[in-house]
Amino acid sequence: MKRIACYSAALAVCLLPCLPAVAQDYSGHTLVVGTWGGDIERLLREHVAGPLEARTGAKVEFLLGGSGDRMAKMVAERNRPTMDVTFQNIYEAPAALQEGLVVAPDAALVPNAANVWPGMNDGCYAMSLNGLGIAYSKAVFPETPEWADLWKPELKGMMAYAPYPSSEGDGMLGVAARVAGADEHNPDAAFAKLAELGSPKLSYSSLDEVLSLMDAGEIAAAPMISGYVLSNLQNYAGIGFVFPKNPGPVLVRDMVCQVANGPEPELAQMFIDLALSVETQTAYANELNFGPTNSQVTLSSEQSERVIDTPDEVASLLQLDWPYVIAQRSAWTDRWNKEIMGQ
Amino acid sequence: MKPTVTALLVAPAVVLMFGVFLLPFLFLVVLSFWYQTPGSLSLDTNFTLANYARILGDSYFLGGLWTTLWLSAVVTVICLVLSLPLARWIVRRAGRSKGLLIGLSILPLVCGALLPTLGLVNLLSPLGFINGLLKSMGIIKTSLPLLGNVLGVAIGLVQAFLPLMILPLITAIEGIPVDYEKAAMSLGAPRLQVWRRVLLPLMLPGIVAGSLLVFCASLTAFVTPQVLGQGKVVTFASLAYQQAALVLDWPFASALAMVMLAFLLLAGALGAFVTRSLARSA
Repeated sequence: MKRIACYSAALAVCLLPCLPAVAQDYSGHTLVVGTWGGDIERLLREHVAGPLEARTGAKVEFLLGGSGDRMAKMVAERNRPTMDVTFQNIYEAPAALQEGLVVAPDAALVPNAANVWPGMNDGCYAMSLNGLGIAYSKAVFPETPEWADLWKPELKGMMAYAPYPSSEGDGMLGVAARVAGADEHNPDAAFAKLAELGSPKLSYSSLDEVLSLMDAGEIAAAPMISGYVLSNLQNYAGIGFVFPKNPGPVLVRDMVCQVANGPEPELAQMFIDLALSVETQTAYANELNFGPTNSQVTLSSEQSERVIDTPDEVASLLQLDWPYVIAQRSAWTDRWNKEIMGQ
Repeated sequence: MKPTVTALLVAPAVVLMFGVFLLPFLFLVVLSFWYQTPGSLSLDTNFTLANYARILGDSYFLGGLWTTLWLSAVVTVICLVLSLPLARWIVRRAGRSKGLLIGLSILPLVCGALLPTLGLVNLLSPLGFINGLLKSMGIIKTSLPLLGNVLGVAIGLVQAFLPLMILPLITAIEGIPVDYEKAAMSLGAPRLQVWRRVLLPLMLPGIVAGSLLVFCASLTAFVTPQVLGQGKVVTFASLAYQQAALVLDWPFASALAMVMLAFLLLAGALGAFVTRSLARSA
C-alpha cells in the first residue's frame, strides 16, 4: 500500500508539468473576442470558446463585425480596452502593433505560436492563410482564366469588387500594377491599368449577391479570397475559382491578436493558443478551406490541394508591401472612388 | 408641481441626453478640426481647417454633396406627390380600415432600414422579381439596371421615408372640415381646383413638416444608399462611413458629418421660416 502511494506521488510529480496551466478557476470572468460572423464564429465557438469555457469556467463573448470596426474600437478604447482578443487582417496586425494596440506575439505565453510557420507571426499571431484568386463565371470563361484575361475588351464593366479599402482591392491593384509591368509602388500604373477594366458592375457587400450574379453570367469575374469562394462553390455550378500563375495569387492572412492591456490577458492567451492548435487549424482547413498556419497540421492530399498549407506555397504567392500600401490608404481610397468606381 | 420636483423628474433625461448625445456630438465637432497623421492611427490635435478645405476643394466630395442634396429633394417631391392622394383617401374614404391603413403605412418605419432594403434587393436585382417577370413576359431580354444607380436608391428612399410624409399630411387633412371640399364642389369647382384652391393651401403646414422630415432623413440615410447604390452612388453618409470605418480617418469623417449637419440646420431653418410665414398669413 505504501509502495502504491509512493508510485502515485511520483507519477503526480512527473505529470504536473504536463497539466494544462488552466487549473485556475476563472468562473465569473468574461473573455471578449472580436471576430467575423458566420462560419468563422461558429467554428471558433465549437473548437475554441467551448473547450476554453469547459476548462476554465469563464464565459466567452463574441463581438461580431468587420475588422475595421475592431481597429476603431481598439483606438477608441486605447486607455481602457473592453476587448481581449481581436481578429484582424494581414495589414492591420502590424499597424496595430506599431500603435501599441496589441501585444507582440510571444511563444512563451502562447505555446502553439512556436508551431506557426516561421516569419508569419507578423504583428499578431497568424491564424489562417488564403490567396486572392479569380472567381469566374464558367459561362464567360470556358477555360480557367489568368489575370491578363480579365482585360479582354468584351469584359469591360463586368467585374465585381469588394468595397474599398480592403485586402481584395489592394490585392487587385497589386495585380494590375504587375500586369502593367510595374508593382504597387507605382500607383499611377496600377490605377490606370485597373481603370481599363471599367467601372465594376457591382461593389458587393454580400457573398451570395455576387456569386448568384456570377453564376448567372451577369458578372464575369471577381478577385476573391480563396477560402470564402471555395466553401461556397458547391452551391454554384456555374462558378469556378483559380489561383492564377502570372502573377501568382496575392497572399492574404488572417491574424489573431491579444489586445494590449485587455481585462483578461491570461484567458486571451489561452484562447489564442487553442485557436492555433492543430485541432482548430485542421477544422479551419477542412470546413472553411482556410490554410492552416500551424506547421504540425496534416491534411488529406485532396484538401491540401485546395488550401495554401506549406511555406513553399506561401513563397509562390504575391506578397504586397503592406506597410507602403497602408501608408497610401487615404490617397488610394480617393483614387479608387474617382478612377475605378466613378468612371 | 414644485420647480424642484420638476427639475428632479427632468434630470435623468437631461443627464442621459448630455452623456450619450451632446458630449459625443461635441467631441465630433472638435474632432473635425483635428487631423489624421498620414499612415498612422494617431491624431494630430492641433486646430486645422484642412478637412473642410479638402471637402470644399475636391470636386469629388462636392459632387457627392450635390448628389445627396438633389437626390433628397427628388425623394421629397416623389413622397409628397404619392402621399397627398393617399393621405386624403385614408382620412376621407377608408372608413373602418383607417387605423389599419395608418398602421400599414408606418410599417417601413418600425421595421428598420435593413430588412425592407434587402427585400428591395431581391425585387430590383438583375435576377430579381421585376427583371424576371419582364423577361418571362418577353418585354426585355437583358436585365434592366435597377440597382447600383440613382433610380434604385431613390426607390429605396421613397419606400423607407413615405410614412414621414403620410403622417403629417393625415394630421393636416384631419384638421380640414370636409364641408370645405363639399362647398367648393357644390359651387362647381372641379376636383383639381378643390385640391389647388382649398386643400393644398390648408395642408401647407403638414406639407412643410413632412417635406422637412423626408428631406432630412434622405440627406442622412446610410443603409439604403449603401445597399441599393452598391458603392456606385456617392452620398455623404456613405462617404462618411467609408472614411470612418474603412480608412479610419475619423477627423475627415467628422468633417463630412459636420457639413451634412450644416445642411440639416439650413433645411430646418428654412422649414421654420416657411411655417412662421404661413402662421402670420393665416
